[in-house]
Amino acid sequence: MDTLEKRLVRLARKGDTRAFAEIVELYKDKIFHLAYRMLSNRHEAEDVVQDTFLRVYRNLDRYDDNQKFSTWIYRIGTNLCIDRLRKRKPSYSLDAEMTEQEGIDGYAMIPSDDRTPESYLIVSETQRMVHEAINSLPAKYKTVMILRYLQDMSLQEISDVLDMPVTTIKTRVHRGREFLRKKLERKI
Amino acid sequence: MDCKQAVSLMHDLLDDDLDRECAKELKAHMLECPACRERFRQLEEADRLLYGFNHRLQPTSDDLTDRIMSVIPKPRQQSALLVWVKRHPAITVAAVFVLVMMTSALSMWNADKQLMVKGAHLDGVVIENNKVIVPSDKVVAGDLTIHNGMAEVYGQVQGDVTVIDGKVFQASTANISGSVHQIDEALGWIWYQITNLFGSGPSLP
Ligand SMILES: [Zn+2]
Repeated sequence: MDTLEKRLVRLARKGDTRAFAEIVELYKDKIFHLAYRMLSNRHEAEDVVQDTFLRVYRNLDRYDDNQKFSTWIYRIGTNLCIDRLRKRKPSYSLDAEMTEQEGIDGYAMIPSDDRTPESYLIVSETQRMVHEAINSLPAKYKTVMILRYLQDMSLQEISDVLDMPVTTIKTRVHRGREFLRKKLERKI
Repeated sequence: MDCKQAVSLMHDLLDDDLDRECAKELKAHMLECPACRERFRQLEEADRLLYGFNHRLQPTSDDLTDRIMSVIPKPRQQSALLVWVKRHPAITVAAVFVLVMMTSALSMWNADKQLMVKGAHLDGVVIENNKVIVPSDKVVAGDLTIHNGMAEVYGQVQGDVTVIDGKVFQASTANISGSVHQIDEALGWIWYQITNLFGSGPSLP
């Protein structure tokens, strides 16, 4: 399936740093997007990416070839995100992140010259609501919804990454979807 | 089919996990139930918004890869050495031999800081503190080796005088038939051990 990754892992195990750099190139964006969705903070998301690859490197010998490499690395990345969410103070405010320009999705997509408060408002009106809705999900639903919708994983893949039965994943997707439907009612 | 059942099937449908038969039943229910039609519309719309959200992705920092690679531990020295060993077995055996010899010679050099006198015929020799004296009227019939001490030779030595980590004083009356070695450094000591090992050492008869 992912023979390229498996070949690179074999080389990296022998101490080939260039092979490992290739693994980083292949997955850093994917893990970053996952972490950014989970934590809505660019800085923390990049920290998670860094930690993920450090763990991958340290555990290369423990990677089981029978498993998809992507499942393995997503599991490491997801767990690091969940850990960070758990460690956050309950008072961690979404508003604080929202006022931080970087953290607002959509805004960073506009070329920097055009970045004015107005353009931010126009672009992110809907995005902001979706962002807020996802962020307000309890962690266990948030993880599943992000993997499902933002990482485009099948229910089976999510079950592999989180090491939970598919039926559990299914229930969580359904509840998460209902939760978001209510949150976005005004938009839909 | 009641509305609760219908909602559950709606989710399965959105998950792409609904067989044809159930899909037909759901459709039949929705045709008769405006509430469920509205519910499905909302769920589909939420679905669409979530998927749409996916496309607004931020790029990672340009230097992220470099930063990651800089925190990755460098490949273990050991493994590089092992690769080399596998390629050069003969040199490795020789190198290990020298290394073992050097370390044993070094540990010997370090181990004894006490005065040590070695020789076959030491009856005429006088020892004072860390000084080994060959008085002017005495004859040492053979080699004389001293560790960690001074040698003062006034008399005769019928062989070599070797002093390791010390000094040799030869009086004008001294008569040494062999050669005099004075070894102060660890390296010299190793060399001494090696030449000794290969049979040209001063202490061999
Ligand atoms: Zn109904």
